[in-house]
Amino acid sequence: MSRTPMMDKLVLRTTDRHLPFSVHLDLTYRCNERCVHCYLDHEDYGEMNTAEMKSVLDQLAEAGTLFLTLSGGEIFLRQDFFELLEHARKLHFDISLKTNALLITPERAKRLKSLGVRKIQVSIYSGDPAIHDGITMVPGSLERSLEAIRYVKSQGMVVALACPLMKQNLGAFRSVIALAEELNVPYVMDMTITPMIDGNHSTVDHRVALSDLLPVLSDTALNPKIGISPSLSAGDSAVSSGMPLPEGGDDICCSAGHNTCYISPYGEVYPCVQLPVGTGNVRTQRFEDIWYRSPEMERISAIRESQLAHCGSCSIRAYCERCPGLALMEGGDIMGAYQRACELAEMNARLAGVPNPISALHAHQQAGGGNVARPATANVFHTASTKLVAIAPLRTN
Amino acid sequence: MSSDTAQMVQGEGLRPNPLLAWREIDGAIVIISPEDSVVHELNPTASFIWKQLSRNCSTGEIAQQLADEFEVSRETALADTNELVESLAGMRLLSAAETEKGTAHV
Repeated sequence: MSRTPMMDKLVLRTTDRHLPFSVHLDLTYRCNERCVHCYLDHEDYGEMNTAEMKSVLDQLAEAGTLFLTLSGGEIFLRQDFFELLEHARKLHFDISLKTNALLITPERAKRLKSLGVRKIQVSIYSGDPAIHDGITMVPGSLERSLEAIRYVKSQGMVVALACPLMKQNLGAFRSVIALAEELNVPYVMDMTITPMIDGNHSTVDHRVALSDLLPVLSDTALNPKIGISPSLSAGDSAVSSGMPLPEGGDDICCSAGHNTCYISPYGEVYPCVQLPVGTGNVRTQRFEDIWYRSPEMERISAIRESQLAHCGSCSIRAYCERCPGLALMEGGDIMGAYQRACELAEMNARLAGVPNPISALHAHQQAGGGNVARPATANVFHTASTKLVAIAPLRTN
Repeated sequence: MSSDTAQMVQGEGLRPNPLLAWREIDGAIVIISPEDSVVHELNPTASFIWKQLSRNCSTGEIAQQLADEFEVSRETALADTNELVESLAGMRLLSAAETEKGTAHV
């Protein structure tokens, strides 16, 4: 959704009133691609059935959710996908989809249009089939995804390309921009690569070294102001469906737990897909009970930017894309600073012309304060609810 | 046909476009069109009329409810309701209601 004064007002109002304005619902973790960087376990450990999913949608509508993002895994692998979509349409949601688009046919694109889907985000890793298909592990996937994008475009729906940047495709980001321009669609690049949901850190090996990101951050096509680019910001992420907060947001860090949340295929409710703090499960609890009365949700929504030990007083905070979920997963402390965000902020500030930028965390460390942020070895995938799997920040689609 | 009847007939059969996203948020109806991603927010009176239209109320019934609720005459309420309905229909936020026999003619 583009930023307008009216949207800003709605975001502020729903944040202030703690209304679940935007919800990201993963329909499945099953997938027909095997992206090398994906954090998900694609086995089905008992995802919600059709009736349970419909009940969740009913409860979200009743609670006041307007923006609904259906994601996965690959959403079209659910046999009841269109049945759920029809149900969501009857409940008047604004519907966005995240998909690899491999299963979108011209007929399905037409049906999506007839059901009022407004936006579809498709993961594209490169304009080079060898690179894209090498990441998805599915030969021919780039060609099929692009073909599906054209079907969807021909129906007049909004399409956006999402491109997580990793070692394999860092040099190809301009080809994704070129594809977006050719297709006349927006794109978002994301540098977030996280551990897998079982705590396995092998995916992190695909993360780009910060020193190698300099050409990306200094590329004027991505970063016209040489500072924080909208297409690189956490608020407009390939991963998160959180809402960018306008100015005057009551000192809060992000929308997670304030007016947005995430629900897994197993019914677990989290403040955000990138914030693995379990707050309840809609299989055993009413959504409104979780949203309004879960102690964990209350704890998350009570956090204020000014309470953050280092970040709250950091001189280069304006150049930082700190995410509470990544602070938890990267540094072990949801209130803390974490190395990668600090280093990225310093890089962004330097590019913007700030002389000798240094984050508050690094200044503290240089002054002999030690490493406040804990290493990401602790098991941060905890939850209050009974769960089969946990979540982590980066999705495949 | 009296002018009153003509006004009533004017907006009959128009209902919220089923393809739109909309929700009552903090007392106001917020509408998003998937066609153009434009967000509309209705004022309290328009929100009331929208909700009644979604419940299949006729413009005459809505006008009566407005007259009962607020200190306006039924005629004024009907004129205002029809004006709003016309405006919303012009923005394609309202469309002809589907009936059991097909699309209603208005």
